[in-house]
Parts: sequence; C-alpha cells; structure tokens
Amino acid sequence: MKSNKIIEEVLNEIEKHEGVMSRRDAMKFLAASPLAASVIAGTVASTPAHASSSAKGKIVIVGGGLAGVATAAKLTHKLSNPDITIIEPNTKSVSYQPGQTLIAGGVWQKSDIEYETEKFIPKGVTWIKESVVSFDPKNNKLKTSGGQEISYDYLVVATGLALDFAAIKGLEGVITSYGPNEVVRQKVGKNGVYSMYFADGAVDTYKGIQELIAKAKEHKGTEKLQALFTDPATPIKCGGAPKKIMYLMHDRLVKAGVRDKVELLFCPSGDKMFGVPEYHTAILEQFKQRDFKWEYKTNLVAIDTDKKVATFEKKWLEKGEFDEDLKEYTMISMSKEVEKKYDFIHITPPQKAPDVVGKSPLGSSKGWVPVVQETLQHVSFKNIFALGDVAAVPMGKTGGSARKQYNVVADNLVAIMEKQSQLPSKFDGYTVCPLITSIGTVMLAEFNWTAKPTPSFPLDPTQERWIWWLLKVYALKPMTVYGMLSGRA
Amino acid sequence: MKKITFTLLSIATMALLTGCGDKPKSDIVTYKYTPAEVYTATCAHCHGDKGEGMPSKKGPAIDKKTIPELEMDLFDIKNGGVGQSTATEHDVMEHNMKKLKEKGYEYDVKAMANYIYNTFNRAK
Repeated sequence: MKSNKIIEEVLNEIEKHEGVMSRRDAMKFLAASPLAASVIAGTVASTPAHASSSAKGKIVIVGGGLAGVATAAKLTHKLSNPDITIIEPNTKSVSYQPGQTLIAGGVWQKSDIEYETEKFIPKGVTWIKESVVSFDPKNNKLKTSGGQEISYDYLVVATGLALDFAAIKGLEGVITSYGPNEVVRQKVGKNGVYSMYFADGAVDTYKGIQELIAKAKEHKGTEKLQALFTDPATPIKCGGAPKKIMYLMHDRLVKAGVRDKVELLFCPSGDKMFGVPEYHTAILEQFKQRDFKWEYKTNLVAIDTDKKVATFEKKWLEKGEFDEDLKEYTMISMSKEVEKKYDFIHITPPQKAPDVVGKSPLGSSKGWVPVVQETLQHVSFKNIFALGDVAAVPMGKTGGSARKQYNVVADNLVAIMEKQSQLPSKFDGYTVCPLITSIGTVMLAEFNWTAKPTPSFPLDPTQERWIWWLLKVYALKPMTVYGMLSGRA
Repeated sequence: MKKITFTLLSIATMALLTGCGDKPKSDIVTYKYTPAEVYTATCAHCHGDKGEGMPSKKGPAIDKKTIPELEMDLFDIKNGGVGQSTATEHDVMEHNMKKLKEKGYEYDVKAMANYIYNTFNRAK
C-alpha cells in the first residue's frame, strides 16, 4: 500500500503549496485514471511478498540518511531473519536535501524538507543514536562515540560527506547538511555570503536574495552589483546546484525589476558547464539567454568577509617545448590568484569524505571509500559495501544515484551472505539532475558513465519544461521519502 | 488546474515504472587499438614501460593503483572532471588525451584500467 501513500503525498504537496484543486477533485482523477492503477501494479510487482533469502549474519549500516535507511529497508524485505543495526547520531538524518534549492529560491520552507528519522527506520532494525569514531575492518569491529565496541559480519558504509568550509581561507567549520553548524554560520549566512548546501544555510540564502534585491533597488550609478557563484575543485553533492541557485537568483531579480542592476558571474573550478556535451551546450545557451557571465577554471580559495573580497585561483595551460616522442607540444599547468569584489556570493563548499571514514583503513588517498564501481563492494574488504555520497564513484553524488545504488548493494550483499561466487547486481552510474532553470521550469538531465543523456521519458532531455518543474516540486519528494526510504521504489 | 494533477500523476507513474528494470542505453563502441597497443605507443613515453613513472616527463607512477583508482583517474582525464563543472585533477593529461584521441589512440576506461593493473601491478 506504499504506492497509495506516495499518491496521497503527491496530492498533499499540491494542496499544501498551491491550493490549485480540491482533494475531492484530485481523488476523482485518481479513481478514473488507468495510470493510478498501473502505479500500484508497478510498485507491488517490484516488491516480493515473501523474503527470498534465509541467509544469516549481522549487518551494520553506518549512516542513516537516504542511502542507509533505504538499504536497511530493502534488506529487511529480502531477508527472512534480518539482523540489521543502523548507527546514526542525527534524529533528522532522512531530511530531504534536494529541497534545499527550493528553500533558497523561496519556494519551500525548511519544514517542507524536515523528516524524523525515527519514522522511517524499518521495523526490527536496531538504531544506535551515536556516531562511529573508528573502524577496524580487519577484525570486523568499530567503535562508537558512546564508547561501544560493535562487531559485525557485514558492513555498509553510507555516512554521506562533509562540507569543508574550512578549506576556504577565511572561513571555518566542517559540517553536514543537517548537523550542528554554528561555526560556519559565524561568517556564512550574512553580509552577502551565503550557501544553501546546508538546510539552515538555504533559509539564509533566500534572505540574502531579498537583501540583494533591496540593495539593487537603491543602487545608483553605472557599475553593476556583483553576484558570484562558486563551484569547487572537489567532487560535490548535486553538481547542478551551484548553477540552480544562479537561475533562481536571476528569476527573483527579474520579478523584482532589478535584473539590470546586478551582474551574475559563475566561477567554476572546471572548464565546462556539464560533463555530458548535450547538456553542456543546452546550459550554455540558457546562460547566454539570461545574460549570465562565466569564468572557467576559477576556483574560490579565500574570502575576506569584512572587505567583501573573494580570492580565486585561476588556472590555465601554456604551451611548452615540442616533445619529439609524442610529436606534440608539452603543456605546462599555470595558475595565479585573482581577487573579485562581491555584493553577494553563493559558496558551494569543497567536499570530502568524513575524516573518520576517509582516513581509516576503509578510505583512500582522496578519502572516498574505494569500491568496485559496478558492484559497490569495497576493493579490499569483501564483506563491506559503500554507497551514496561517501563512495568513490564518478559523477553521481545525488539522491537519484543513491536510489539506484541501494538496490545494487542489497542484492550483492545478500549474494555474499549466501556465499554466491558472482555478484548479481550492477550499477551503471545513473544519476539525475533536475536542473532548475527558473521558477516554473526544469531541465531533467539524466545520464550515466557513458556521459550520454539517458532519458527515462520519450522527450528531448535538453529542453526546459514545466512538467519537470512539477516533478521536482511535487512528485520527487514523496517518491523519495515514501518510495525509496521504504525500499520499494 | 486539473491538468496539473493529471500531468503529475502521469509523470509520477512513469518515474515509478521506469524505476524498476531500466536498461543502460549505451552504444556499442569499437576501438582501433587494444589497450596494450595504446599503452606501448603512447602512455609508456611518460609513464614508463612498466608504469613506474618518469619524473623527467612529469608522468606519475601508475603501477600501484587499484582498478577502481585507475578507472576514476581515467574517467577524470577523458571526461575533464568527475562532476559537472568540477575541475579535472589532471589538466595537462586531459589536454594530452584529446590529442591522442585525435590520432586514434582511444580506449575503453575499464579495459585500460584492467590492462594497467594486470600488467604492472598484479605481476609484481
């Protein structure tokens, strides 16, 4: 009956945000729609009525975000005698992070994305409300912040990642989306410096947009106000977000009638808009239409929040000597620091695996947990899997990736428990970026490791569409919260 | 406004249905040279005959990396970064790879990672 719940929640969203139609009208549509029937058929078919495996063993899942809880739920369905423990200190760890862009854009409130973890921990699963302080994978043990030593037969690492504001000179704090953030907020969330990468920061960002609009209305003279948008040199959650906030800012400025007073400048560390050429081209066109400016290979390294000056490392290649072996000119990597004044800056912080994982035997030189990319099994420890933001896989640190990964991990973990020689399930790198291009339009960029568009729908994926806005604002959250967290969709 | 609800239900349905059992839509690609041929003809100039690295050519050693590490690096090089607008960690090699590709020295990331690992790392 989970699918009914999802439809119910979609209806709730419509009612809550727009009041566009009555519940009774909506229900009539549901009853008349053959689509509704197929939703129910679809979800029921994908969920076996009986657990398929009698394999035994103690499974510990570190991290109770979307990835960890969905994995626990799926394993609960698959195992007839599940023995599962989740270690997660945050009581709101399942909150819906993709909604943070909508909060920053003034479309949602913080309460729209807040979910109590307690309500989503599957029945029978033990929840330890602590964090892990050390891993001992050779002896299948770990220690928690409360001093417990916990042993396991199988381990799933789903801690998520850390937002490393401290890596930018002038800022302090390494935080998560929903954890304590006082240190970061000493300087971020005020005086023109904003970041929607954490929930409270997203609330602040909308205030920042309002402040900039007020400032723009008072602004005289020919020099425009400067709004900067950064994108760091590390892998990040939701690669589209640094651009989404720019589109939302643009839309708000246009609506307030002050777009001509503000220059919007995108400063990414990389040299393109998107790793998939089709989407890159589409975004470039959208940027031009909106008179956005951009400077590639320009990475934020320091900020002086008193003087309102941001320092960027600008990189480029210079032609060196001719290499006889290669029959090519060698290239030399060059860099210099450039300063930019700002009236508003949106910071996408550098991101890393939490040190407790990254610097443990489970981590790697770059921190991210090294896994076989298709099976998500740890490279060195066969009884350990990793998924979500902490796993070392290219491109996708998104809920959309996690939605594919948790099924892969659950299938493969059960296979290991059953001593099967082959791991049955493979991840293909699928991820999805509903790129908000205005309040009312979204480009639904779906892709995988082939770096080609992989649309789920028979529509040109490079077009901005109103229906994807509806999908993003009304449907994805209920699908995630009630479909994915229960391990069914 | 009924249209909104209908549209929503349609897309929610499509998304739920496609959630299970979708297939990767990758094209079949063929390559002119095998990973071994590409390595010997090009990579070896800077990474060494055994992947041991050549400081004089600024080519790092690649004989101690695992297959997933190699895959991540090769993906980063060929894609110019592992994200959307995130910088590559190999800006010079990204440029070199584009040149190599123009000359036909293209390869599958997985096949090349396996070749490098099996030939230089595991053999030791």
